[in-house]
Amino acid sequence: MTFEEAQAELEQIVHRLETGEAPLDEALKLWERGEELYRFCKERLDAAEGKIEELASRAEAARP
Amino acid sequence: MKVEATAYGDRKVYSVGAFNRGVASWLARLPTVWVEGEVTELRRSARWASVFFTLKDPQDGSCLGVSMPRGQFDGLRLELADGDRVHAYGRPELFEARGEFRLRALSLERFGLGDHLAALERLKKKLAAEGLFAAERKRPLPLLPRRIGLVTGNDAAAKRDVLTVVTTRFPPANVLVAETYVQGPRAAGAVVEALRALCREGVDVVVVARGGGSFEDLLPFSDERLVRAIAACPVPVVSAVGHEQDTPLCDLAADVRASTPSVAGRLVVPDLTQLLERLDRSRSGLERGTRRSLERERQRLDRAHERLRRAPRQLVERGRARLDQTAGRLRALSPQATLERGYAIVRAHDAIVRSAHGLETGERVEVELAEGGFGARVEDTR
Repeated sequence: MTFEEAQAELEQIVHRLETGEAPLDEALKLWERGEELYRFCKERLDAAEGKIEELASRAEAARP
Repeated sequence: MKVEATAYGDRKVYSVGAFNRGVASWLARLPTVWVEGEVTELRRSARWASVFFTLKDPQDGSCLGVSMPRGQFDGLRLELADGDRVHAYGRPELFEARGEFRLRALSLERFGLGDHLAALERLKKKLAAEGLFAAERKRPLPLLPRRIGLVTGNDAAAKRDVLTVVTTRFPPANVLVAETYVQGPRAAGAVVEALRALCREGVDVVVVARGGGSFEDLLPFSDERLVRAIAACPVPVVSAVGHEQDTPLCDLAADVRASTPSVAGRLVVPDLTQLLERLDRSRSGLERGTRRSLERERQRLDRAHERLRRAPRQLVERGRARLDQTAGRLRALSPQATLERGYAIVRAHDAIVRSAHGLETGERVEVELAEGGFGARVEDTR
């Protein structure tokens, strides 16, 4: 799953919950799924460590 | 010219000199034409009668040796540099002493601005007809690129602009930079190679950035090979070449065109702060929405409970109402109402007397009135 997909699904779930259309047990399932998606997105943003590499030096480093 | 051959039995054999002379005379019959190419390997010496250089086809790299009388060449004062594009007017010739084929140039013209513009326009039409610039070919950029490829010159400005914006907006960005020539005859090929190398390394979007420059400086970015490579790039490409008013063909083939390198930086990464805010809003929405669903269910339950609680009393009330109604009807049917109108009920032996027949004189009867009653004796019967 990409970040985009996760974010889009999360926002869809929020919309569905906010319109109050979902019956209770579905609402609870949606909420659980939403929390899961939120954690996934948050981790994608938190885990990445910024990095700037030069292709030339990479190629050199790759040489034995 | 008659070329003499020696006969060895039935085999005709030419000397090298005679062969070369023969081919040379054949070539000399070809017409004088214009040939276009890029000048390389220019060799000029005051000791030589001719100036030599190689014309190279920028498309497929084909080469053609050219010689030109030195006096004529010097007279043109072209000050040619490697990679300059020219039109050479001449005819093919064979340098007999070495058996080398080349173009004998009589005149040489620098490929001027007008020629460049006309060539660019032709190329643009051709590529447009192939659909290379079509809107439906444009791919969306990934919202959150795992790794960004950056093709740029070692001129600090464009590179710095892209990197500054990218790392400011999105600190976790991962950028792979390929420095390359962005000017001169080697630029187009070098940029194509850099694009390929970045894709091999695995990037999910590429930015091609180059600061402003003269029309000629930016020409490599309209080179057919480069434009095709951008269109064929397996991941989306953002082109940020030159200034707003320049439109090199690579801009048209790219998926997104950025007016400056900074704009390209803004396009390839999201704003982390905004992204986090949006995510947090979603999460609050998640809680709010769930709570709202719960609240609605609770209210529905409460309403059901209330109705349940009221049900027995309602049942009793409904029973009572029905009873009252029945009682009313009952009363309407009772003899009381009849008695009120002045009738009386006569009973004898606990039975209602409907006929005088069977009554005996002196017999006691009970008379019931609307109010009270009395006992009586039968005086006579009729």
